[in-house]
Amino acid sequence: MTIAPSVEMFDLRRRSAQVAGYVVMAGSLIVLQFPLAWLLATAFKSRGEVFSVPPTWIPREPTLEPFAYAFSPIMLRFFFNSVVIAAATAFTSTLIGACTAYVVARLRHWSSNMLMVFFLCSLAFPLPLLMITLYLTLSRLGLIDTYFAVIIGHVVLTLPVVIWLLKGFVDSLPVEVEEAAYVEGASLFRIIWSIVIPIMRPGFTAAAIYVFVTSWNEFIFGLTFTTSSSMRPLPAGIALLFLQEFQYQWPQMMAVATTATVPILVLFLAFQKHFVEGVTVGAVKG
Amino acid sequence: MNHVFRRHVGAALVLLLPALLFAGVFLVYPLANGVYLSFTNASALRPTSRFIGLGNYEYLLATPEFYIVLFNSVVLVGGAILLSMVAGLGLALLVNRRLPGVALFRAGVFQIWIVPWISVAILWGWIFNADYGIVNYMLMGIGIIDEPIGWFSGSTTARIVIVLGFAWRMIPFMMVVSLAALQSIPSEVLEAASVDGATPVQRFMRITLPLLRPMLVTLALLQLVKLFQEITLPWILTQGGPMNATSTLSLYTYKLAFQQWDYGLAAAAGTVWLVLLGLVGLIAMQFTRRSF
Repeated sequence: MTIAPSVEMFDLRRRSAQVAGYVVMAGSLIVLQFPLAWLLATAFKSRGEVFSVPPTWIPREPTLEPFAYAFSPIMLRFFFNSVVIAAATAFTSTLIGACTAYVVARLRHWSSNMLMVFFLCSLAFPLPLLMITLYLTLSRLGLIDTYFAVIIGHVVLTLPVVIWLLKGFVDSLPVEVEEAAYVEGASLFRIIWSIVIPIMRPGFTAAAIYVFVTSWNEFIFGLTFTTSSSMRPLPAGIALLFLQEFQYQWPQMMAVATTATVPILVLFLAFQKHFVEGVTVGAVKG
Repeated sequence: MNHVFRRHVGAALVLLLPALLFAGVFLVYPLANGVYLSFTNASALRPTSRFIGLGNYEYLLATPEFYIVLFNSVVLVGGAILLSMVAGLGLALLVNRRLPGVALFRAGVFQIWIVPWISVAILWGWIFNADYGIVNYMLMGIGIIDEPIGWFSGSTTARIVIVLGFAWRMIPFMMVVSLAALQSIPSEVLEAASVDGATPVQRFMRITLPLLRPMLVTLALLQLVKLFQEITLPWILTQGGPMNATSTLSLYTYKLAFQQWDYGLAAAAGTVWLVLLGLVGLIAMQFTRRSF
């Protein structure tokens, strides 16, 4: 008799805490997603409707006209440049990063720890400071305004993070399998090829996606290391159009902002689990 | 037993070689050369350069704009980190229960972290537009303001817009990492405290927060380094204006190098930046009782 009400009370309290939890979640999601909703709402509006007062949430006469601009030849060219640069950067950073991370994680030598500390510190190297010498060197070699120049910049940006991310990943793998294979007489090459590479595949995915997203978003290397508009990656290309001629073409700019976001959003949703784990694990472990 | 690499030092070196070469050519050399350039009058507009000692540093320290820029970086980056940490940790605490659907919520929030800075910048320009922006419209609708605010024409309002942009993009990351850290706290500890009569606030202040502190300091440091580099938002939205109110150290240094083509002066500003972050890093390390 005395227990029953208190259990009920407890249940009620838990239930209301649950409801409160959902209310807070829904509320914060609405606030945080609001700018994106407004982005989409604007991207489908006609020139007249975008300036209407009061503003309309759902476009009265939805139009795809802004997207015609977002898929114009020059935009598609920016898009293509970004895909090439991001893919090449993802490949390069992940490959170099994997080799380094594996050796550093397995060697456990003071010199390899120093290397890790160096790469961590390199995240704080001021980019404009590095860019001066990179720019001078690349232009002396005649490489400014090439994909190569931008890719180098993006590898500089991502390699340290990839090495840290993958080292954490290798640390979590048992070394005994490799030791056993070695005792059985397998060569180092064989061990890496048949044991290490297959087992590291999820790590590769996380690293490659991280690099792709970072490269896709990167603005300043893309702006500085390219000079002709046909070589611009998406962010730099959009920025210059926005500042020059399209400042007040809001639906067009919102459509462009949407098309710049959607590809990596799809990538993110497809590999969400890997990505969230990959990106957060390093930060939690510190 | 030692790992196989102990007996294959050559193979280890071969695997390390690409990263060592890359780091040497594209990180160490540019950094060292950058610091060297800061003592010269190197410029793209001058065929030759010469050593001028501390001349660039003396010039910078005598320029009022440089102090404004330092102040801006601290205020904008600091404000954004503070705001996104409080909001991120708050959200993490609120959803740190075994509720069905938390994963969906986490994905919905985290997705914002994917939005490219360029999209954030353009979007912010539209949302905070003085005449047709939705923010002014809503603020007027609920009666907080009587007439539209020209967000980008006032120093304080322009800074607020930039901080909100930084924070909005950072909150999701802060939340997801905080949530992961919260879930790593053994629930027995909190249960024991609550059996002993600790209130939720006490549990948070005495147990959760101290346990999270190393993670929070690390996270703040990482975000500090990242946001110090961030240039897109002020570049697109304000170009550093009005009256340099949103000109950050990165924007200032970048403009010196690639708009005024004064490599020496830009390198000096970059070196000051490097030293400042180094000091902050050393101080922050004292607060986390662990080494990286």
